[in-house]
Amino acid sequence: MKKMNVPFQTTISDPPVSLPEHTDQKYTPTHSISILIGGAAGTGIMTLENILSDAFKRSGYFVFSTKEYMSRVRGGSNTTLLRISDAPVNAPCWHVNLFIALDADAISHVHERLTSDTIVIADESINNEEIAITSMPMLETVKKVGNIRYANSYVAGVLFAMLALGTEILSQSIETLFDDQKPQENETAMQEGFSYGKSLTSSQLPKLPAPVSGLDNSMHLVNGSAAAGFGFLLGGCNMITSYPMSPSTGVLNFMASMSKEFTLLVEQSEDEIASLNMVLGGWFSGGRAMTSTSGGGFALMTEAMSLSGVSEIPAVIYLAQRPGPATGLPTRTEQGDLNLALYSGHGDFGRIILAPGDLQECIDYGYLAFELADRYQMPVVYLSDQYLADSISMIETVDFSTYEQRRYIKTTEASYHRFTFNDTGISPRGVPGLGEGIVVSSSHEHDERGQSTESYQMREKMVEKRQQKINLTIAEAFAPKVFGQGSIAVIGWGSTKGAIDEVLKELNDPRLFQVHFSWVHPLNPEHLEILKATEANIVIENNTTGQFADILKSYDVNIDHRILQSNGFSFFTDQLKEKLSKIIKEEK
Amino acid sequence: MKHPLDRTNINNAWCPGCGNFGILKLLKEVLTELDLDPKNTVIISGIGQASKTPYYIDTHMFGGLHGRAMPVATAIKASNPSLNVIAEGGDGDMYGEGGNHFMHTIRRNPDIIHIVHNNMVYGLTKGQASPTSQKGFVTPVQVKGVSSEPFNPISVALALKAGFVSRVNIGNYAHAKTVLKEAFLHKGYALVDIFQPCVVFNKVNTYKWFRDNTYELESTYEKNNLLSAMQKALENDPIPIGIFYQSERSTFEEHFRGEDKKALFTLSHDLKKLQALFETY
Ligand SMILES: Cc1ncc(C[n+]2csc(CCOP(=O)(O)OP(=O)(O)O)c2C)c(N)n1
Ligand code: SF4
Ligand SMILES: [Mg+2]
Repeated sequence: MKKMNVPFQTTISDPPVSLPEHTDQKYTPTHSISILIGGAAGTGIMTLENILSDAFKRSGYFVFSTKEYMSRVRGGSNTTLLRISDAPVNAPCWHVNLFIALDADAISHVHERLTSDTIVIADESINNEEIAITSMPMLETVKKVGNIRYANSYVAGVLFAMLALGTEILSQSIETLFDDQKPQENETAMQEGFSYGKSLTSSQLPKLPAPVSGLDNSMHLVNGSAAAGFGFLLGGCNMITSYPMSPSTGVLNFMASMSKEFTLLVEQSEDEIASLNMVLGGWFSGGRAMTSTSGGGFALMTEAMSLSGVSEIPAVIYLAQRPGPATGLPTRTEQGDLNLALYSGHGDFGRIILAPGDLQECIDYGYLAFELADRYQMPVVYLSDQYLADSISMIETVDFSTYEQRRYIKTTEASYHRFTFNDTGISPRGVPGLGEGIVVSSSHEHDERGQSTESYQMREKMVEKRQQKINLTIAEAFAPKVFGQGSIAVIGWGSTKGAIDEVLKELNDPRLFQVHFSWVHPLNPEHLEILKATEANIVIENNTTGQFADILKSYDVNIDHRILQSNGFSFFTDQLKEKLSKIIKEEK
Repeated sequence: MKHPLDRTNINNAWCPGCGNFGILKLLKEVLTELDLDPKNTVIISGIGQASKTPYYIDTHMFGGLHGRAMPVATAIKASNPSLNVIAEGGDGDMYGEGGNHFMHTIRRNPDIIHIVHNNMVYGLTKGQASPTSQKGFVTPVQVKGVSSEPFNPISVALALKAGFVSRVNIGNYAHAKTVLKEAFLHKGYALVDIFQPCVVFNKVNTYKWFRDNTYELESTYEKNNLLSAMQKALENDPIPIGIFYQSERSTFEEHFRGEDKKALFTLSHDLKKLQALFETY
């Protein structure tokens, strides 16, 4: 057999990797404004979102945008929220400063999010008895320019004029975004909108904060799907086999686009059962494979989760949550599948569950998912959700060369046995064709060779070996992140990180501090000591029962309050602030 | 009757007289006669009596879940295209629980030998009907006899334009060996459906029954014609055995990798390129 070289080949005796340190936030928020855009699916809200976020970023602002949309391709009523600030924003707000209604339905769809201070901008053909509207001749003007499709550029022009910004940057954004689709007509529509916007005066017009200099070059606008994808590639992912399901499809699309750049196999499987079985086949022969899915698809994968457990084959599962049960709300968000991820599969076996809370963590934990699956030879579930996957936010340049690359596979000798016992419980993983050994993998209980067995003594030893691995993952688990100090812990996991952070900063109550879990399972009891020294613990999560709160309780952590929500939205900072204030008043 | 490919120190769980012994012998002999390196060969199986086969041959093996060998095999081949990949299991495993994967693996056309032990019964679970059980077959579950139409793997594979479609009878050993060798030499997906008597739970489709109810396709039979292959596939009294159809096209692995057969474990991504792509955001 010819000698083959495995790059980054290592063994379990290497200590666990650590993530590169990221610089602390160097920006202090002073002020932000929120712009909501509403319209039917298929009318180009996303185009407007792209023009505006690009132009605001070029103008020196931090931009955050998030969408809520119906499960349909055309029609209905969808919105995109943009928040513009002088410091990073990572959460949506319910009430908005400006609302752009692209059609009449949009107004009724969002009227609860409007306050008496909200400026509502709509085409002159739209009237509403209860709400004051700032009219613009949008339809008439863009028809003159040539096509209703230019409405997005027109609206961008109106908005930039109202916010006292110039057209120069907007022109650049339009040129970049429409480089092959009529940039000239879009430019004209934008200029028309801009001159109309100049004529509008309103004492209520929200003021932008001062721009941050040098921002455009150091920051990147990325959504949670792409950030996760960069993380997976950084972790060496070279195979993804998935069955499409919202909201996980963003990752599948991203990886497919990257398959033109890297040796990366992308296959749309016939069902989710095939997806995860392919992932196991991929790892078995030395690939680094993953699947992307949502709750319903993951439910179909549970038998293969169990196979990963017994045969100690690594697996990475990107699970983007949406509200169930069953089809639930297909395009909306929830953190309702933690228990599914935790208990999926029959029999006892170890697994790791990661839930990134922002873009940096999307990348870090994407990388980590592959590293951990390989190191511990067990399934790693990466929990995202529709909110995190679809939201666009800003992230500082990431230096990919600072992430340590490792490949825990063994070049085998003729006497190789796949499941040898040792003091870590982790037997060196050989792969077919690398070395002189034979690799035997079995879904049955097996002996050290991998040969199936019914010996109860061997069963006991193998159970103990798999338990040893679990103990190792507990010992090497990442601690929750603690922000600030105080007597009342505000606890979250996954995508609630930004909302909780903003609310705590706004409340500025010295008793409150944030404890955030991005490594969700298994927990190391030592890391929970901090929650046993508090006066009160408040858990915030986006599901009906408080799935994570219950897990903490099982470690004897007192849970004094739960702030839960399962209406299909992520937490809005203004609403969350109100709920949290009420609770801490009780705590006085 | 020791063979160099025997896995040592094992406990064979099959019943004496079972057709599976013949298939095991056949596979070992074909691997040896074709000089295939066991260290470069992987057998993937599911669950069932047939799926125990790889536990008795000393090649690499992946013992998977009932019905799920095909997606595993497809991915193994794709991540290391230089391996010889064999997927093996029973009729329930491959055509029942794994029926969806059967169809879609054919469509993908990975370079895999697909061996199905067709005993027209569920052996391991003690005698229920399988998708290929014949009408009227009485079991403890199908107490009034099987009422469903039997699954015809040959015509289904042909309908999906499988590149190599064959059926043999393990009772006709020499013929079976010729066909299995051809399957190994074929580039792309190759189905070898093997009639295998289950001497315990199928008292109808016995060695004698298979001998009396099959005939070898004539030497003049042209195996490159899909329509006539389909006609042959639908004959069932007696049942033709042999290679029904053969035609080569490019494989699943080639679609992704072209001529590159390097194992994925020898590669890594260019992180400078990844960095540059990130900077475009
Ligand atoms: C998901 C799942 N369902 C059911 C079973 C039980 N089971 C094991 S083998 C088998 C059928 C065996 O029949 P076949 O595939 O024809 O193999 P044979 O034993 O006849 O060789 C069944 C139903 C299982 N192991 N897994
Ligand atoms: S039950 Fe049937 S198929 Fe299984 S080993 Fe016995 S004879 Fe063979
Ligand atoms: Mg059978």
